[in-house]
Amino acid sequence: MTNKNIFKELGASGVILAFLMLLPILNMVGPDSGLFSVSAFQLSLWGKYLTFAVLAMSLNLLWGYTGLLCLCQSLFFALGGYMMGMYLMLMIGERGAYKSVLPDFMVFLGYQDLPIHWAPFYNFWFTSAAILWVPGVVALIFGYLAFRSRIRGVYFSILTQALTYASCLLFYRNDFTFGGNNGFTDFKDILGMDLNSIETVRILFISSVVLLFLTYFITSFLLKTKLGKIQQAIRDSENRVLFSGYSTANFKLGIFVLSAMIAGAAGALYVPQVGGINPSLMEAAKSLEVVVWVAVGGRGTKWGPAIGAIFVNLLKSYTTQAFPDYWLIFMGGLFVFVVLFMPQGLIGVYNQLKEKFLKKEGTVSV
Amino acid sequence: MYRNGFSLLFFGLTFLATIVLYGNSDERGPRDVFVDLILADKSEQSALIEEMNEFGDPIIAKIYEDWRRGKIFSLETEASKEIIYIDERNNCYSLLTGEVLEYSEETRENFNKERIARALRKQFKGLIDTLGLKSINAKTRIKSAIKLGRSQKAEYIEPLEKRLAIEENAKVKAAIDEALAINLLKNGNETQRLESVNRLAELKSIAAKDFIEKILAREIDAGKSNEPLALACSASILTIESHIRVIEFFGSFFRGLSTGSVLLIVSFGLAITFGLMGVINMAHGEFVAIGGYTTFLVQNVFISIWGIDHPMFGWYFLVAFPVSFIVAALIGIVVEKGVIRFLYRRPLESLLCTWGLSMMMQQGFRLIFGAANVQVNNPSWLMGSLNFGGFSMSFTRLLIVALAILVVFLTWALLQKTNLGLHIRAVMQNRNMASSLGIPVSKVNSMTFSLGCGLAALGGAALSQIGNVGPSMGQAYIVDSFMVVVIGSVGNLIGAGLSAMGIGMVDQLLQPYLGPVMGKITVFFIIILFLQWKPGGIFPTKSRSLDD
Amino acid sequence: MKNLKKLTISCIAGLFLSFSSLFAGDEDSVKVGILHSLSGTMAISETSLRDVLLFTIDEINKSGGVLGKQIEAVQADGASDWPMFAEKSEQLLAQDECAAVFGCWTSVSRKYALPVFEKYNGLLFYPVQYEGEEESPNIFYTAEAVGQQAIPAVDYLLNEGYTKFYLIGTDYVYPQTTNIVLFEYLLSKGIPVENIGGGIRYEGDVAVSAGNYTPFGHTDFQQIVAEITDFAASGDACVINTINGDANVPFFKEIAASGLTSDDCPIVSFSLSEDEFRSLPTKDLVGHLGCWTYFMSIDSKANKKFIKSFNKWLKKSAPDYVQKEGRVTCSPMVLSYNGVYLWKAAVEAAGTFEVDAVIAALESGISFDGPGGTVTTQANHHVTKNVFIGETLEDGQFEILEVMENVYGEPWLKGTF
Repeated sequence: MTNKNIFKELGASGVILAFLMLLPILNMVGPDSGLFSVSAFQLSLWGKYLTFAVLAMSLNLLWGYTGLLCLCQSLFFALGGYMMGMYLMLMIGERGAYKSVLPDFMVFLGYQDLPIHWAPFYNFWFTSAAILWVPGVVALIFGYLAFRSRIRGVYFSILTQALTYASCLLFYRNDFTFGGNNGFTDFKDILGMDLNSIETVRILFISSVVLLFLTYFITSFLLKTKLGKIQQAIRDSENRVLFSGYSTANFKLGIFVLSAMIAGAAGALYVPQVGGINPSLMEAAKSLEVVVWVAVGGRGTKWGPAIGAIFVNLLKSYTTQAFPDYWLIFMGGLFVFVVLFMPQGLIGVYNQLKEKFLKKEGTVSV
Repeated sequence: MYRNGFSLLFFGLTFLATIVLYGNSDERGPRDVFVDLILADKSEQSALIEEMNEFGDPIIAKIYEDWRRGKIFSLETEASKEIIYIDERNNCYSLLTGEVLEYSEETRENFNKERIARALRKQFKGLIDTLGLKSINAKTRIKSAIKLGRSQKAEYIEPLEKRLAIEENAKVKAAIDEALAINLLKNGNETQRLESVNRLAELKSIAAKDFIEKILAREIDAGKSNEPLALACSASILTIESHIRVIEFFGSFFRGLSTGSVLLIVSFGLAITFGLMGVINMAHGEFVAIGGYTTFLVQNVFISIWGIDHPMFGWYFLVAFPVSFIVAALIGIVVEKGVIRFLYRRPLESLLCTWGLSMMMQQGFRLIFGAANVQVNNPSWLMGSLNFGGFSMSFTRLLIVALAILVVFLTWALLQKTNLGLHIRAVMQNRNMASSLGIPVSKVNSMTFSLGCGLAALGGAALSQIGNVGPSMGQAYIVDSFMVVVIGSVGNLIGAGLSAMGIGMVDQLLQPYLGPVMGKITVFFIIILFLQWKPGGIFPTKSRSLDD
Repeated sequence: MKNLKKLTISCIAGLFLSFSSLFAGDEDSVKVGILHSLSGTMAISETSLRDVLLFTIDEINKSGGVLGKQIEAVQADGASDWPMFAEKSEQLLAQDECAAVFGCWTSVSRKYALPVFEKYNGLLFYPVQYEGEEESPNIFYTAEAVGQQAIPAVDYLLNEGYTKFYLIGTDYVYPQTTNIVLFEYLLSKGIPVENIGGGIRYEGDVAVSAGNYTPFGHTDFQQIVAEITDFAASGDACVINTINGDANVPFFKEIAASGLTSDDCPIVSFSLSEDEFRSLPTKDLVGHLGCWTYFMSIDSKANKKFIKSFNKWLKKSAPDYVQKEGRVTCSPMVLSYNGVYLWKAAVEAAGTFEVDAVIAALESGISFDGPGGTVTTQANHHVTKNVFIGETLEDGQFEILEVMENVYGEPWLKGTF
């Protein structure tokens, strides 16, 4: 990379970091109302957006750089979220409605003891590990089966969709020990800190920022290594990579597991900031939303997916309030427009306009 | 003398007149009692029903049914209340005399609909069931016999035996036989009960199983488990259970067939757009919904012209079926020209784009038709079911099986026997070559896409008879349809058909053991594993070219 | 160039976010939140509640408002997305500073909103029949608790001589909890276990699940209807139906196709009101039962006045996006209506909009003569009201069979029989 590029990149990252850190600072010392105020509500909202941004970046690793359109990214996000959720539910202790050590939903389902797989989640370190390896293992098993049989392209996408749909049905069942349709809600503490206090909100927000930048560095680093080059080569033409002697299945599997773990980590930060988790996060539609964020922002770019995620969610929050009857049409129209006319996303708008004005010509095909 | 004679004559005439005028009041018929029932209050009703019991007239069942269905009205006049019955063609008849009555529009507005109170219905139940034994319709006779038998009330033994003596229809005879046996299980003496248990085993009566089990439990409790009655019960239960298993199997098979047919109709269109064109249409579910909504609109047109009770109403479905196809095909052409034609051979982009389209279309349905599901009533010829040795196949589902076969046949005919079909196959195999040969590729594209959409709409029209019509009705089938197409090998219609049937069968076979939710989940995992074994589907295309 | 572009985007986003924090408070009005799904799968049912709330607020405003102030309604669309309910609750409380919020339908949405209301000490009125097992200090449940819907219905059926009960529902907490409570209740009334159909699951010797459950949006009821037909064969059987939403359509169509009539085996449904009947084939439902604390066919002055005013408002004053044709009233709508009036009465009794004072007033027992009769708030945040059992007619209305007056609302019923 040339010096100019490195400078550009650092500059861009710096601007984003500065803006994001401005939010908790304003929340701490800024005014209570007016243009520059940041309330606790807005801070947690932005924290949520950041976890979505990380989710989008994890999909970008798969889709933008490896060419694998995975339609179950929200499943990994949700799995990480559920792991954190289990820890948070146990932390409620006896402050629930039934004043029992067991979570409320277990009491009214008639459980006498904590199921065996819940017990280790009292420990935060175990939980942190689980947040990474549970989505990772699911990705490993599914990916191994899929890539080994050379399932590619659209088939892979549809299979992932089936996976998330089946998992969603499984988690909706009341006797699956994960709260069924209601999921987990009404958390009290995390690591001893009250979830309702402003300090915790700030800490969670800053953790989300840290995760965002961590993901960015992982992505950048990966792209510079040989692994990254192979990844992009797989995206461009998998057969040639195969003929060159690389075992593409293993590379794809590695990336798949990595991106699942990142999505899981994002989910784990999402849950305390939103205050609950529920199987609807595993529905096929949610995974498709993630694809839209990446497409709108610009797939195959480093900051594009994050910006796409934040932009689309801001738009959704705004339109659900301003146009409750029409927002779905806006969003749908936005996707159609982006796919047809902005294949490089928001990031690429500048390049697209530049190209148009310089009038480059291309080849024609049927 | 003359005076005596005159007074005698006078009295005689008066006497005669009295008899003539009021004599009829002794001959009260069912109609009189009905009119009284409608006008009476609660306290008088039991007595009137007692009276009704005396008559054995089948017209009672008919009048009762009409009353239930809301066809009886009353009109207050200065003198009294007139009870009126209105038939399908809106003609008024007096309930009491049966003669035609003419009323103007304004008078009709003053009609009060007369409803049967629930308590009254209960009292009528026994009476209607006994009357059912005399109905001209064999099915009604069978139904009534079974009801009378299962109620295990002693008073029904006599009517059942009476009917058995004069019954000529073999099926009805068997039903009455069964009913009597079940009834005697409770009300007969020892020998009769033993006979009944054995008879029911011979008849393989599923309805009797519960009753026999109860008797067995009682005998065991009383310590008589080695007595002939208990032994007969056990043997009987075994026979009946094995019969049930056979029926269950056929039942599951039929259910699998019907589930598979639903899947087939809905995913055939997708098989064409995805398979033949490489376009993933995530809005496919919305085209299914277009079919459902078109059926709804056609139904409404028929209702506004003829009214819902008119026999012509039943034909709406036959009209709606082709109309749905045409409407969806036209909309499909518009969508193709506007959006899809930029996306050929770019499956991932077509997925996203059509997903956006799907959101817009769903919200569009909500804005036009309302967010709620809309009512689609089944035509009368589709209500009910076909009974076959103990298990029933509902007509609506039989219709869907028939429609599936029709769809497969028509598509095959189109693709193999028409010019358009030839062009479609050519374009699918090698787009550029086909274009060089002068085939108007873009036209063929439009036609194919709209064909796929039209087929989706046929699925929607069929679904309107068994389920909901609403803005998100298509969403329930999208994931399943994709599974069907992928397993059936993309591009292969026979494969799609087979995989639809296969998935339907497996789903239904698993359901009795795992329940609907776990059944569906298991099916998905089976599919995922199946694709490990055969990633290209059932009929993978063998070619030497790379897909890159 | 790239930098500048990113900077611009960030600034616009920042302005965007700050923009939403600007609002002007009006001294002469008080804000009240309407939190319902106006889009998505739940929109079908919840838009009716939004419409009734707008009507009620208009009605109150016309007669002088509350404590002299006009009510300003703030609508928030939960979009059938449960985390969105949490987000919108926070927005209504933290940003818009609503004195009270009327909303939620599904238990999930309420469970997501609950922690937010407790955090900000807000006040939520929840109007939809639910499973109980909850009593938040910041929520008032004008809804039917299990004892005000399921239990009276089962009592009615027991009195009518039904001895076999088949339980079927959608697989989520409301049907599961209701059915377990009903299972315990039926056993306590002497119904033997074999007469309770659908399947019972035991953990050890404690029953943890009773009945047959299908997922949301399930369409294939062939197997289940076959089971019900067998179950009902011996007579005196009925079905307790807690299937939610549009899965009821294929269920009832399948029942109609099987030939099982409402006289052979009546089905009592708890999630079908007049509003849902607009989209169901009512021909298939005639003769089946429902149980609510309000029916549109109630013949009382208060109800007739309510229906008339609502229809008048629809014609003259309703906003354009409200559907004006073919409207009916149903229990959740009336409970929303009652909720607003109960809040108004409590505010007037407390003399202030302060949430703690209003809650205290409500806990002391406020009454209101609603369209379904008099309703009175209880200290446990539920409401005493009349319970009606009705039979479905061809036009989607209910014929009232029985009335139980002033039934106490008790959320903690499990394990008490």
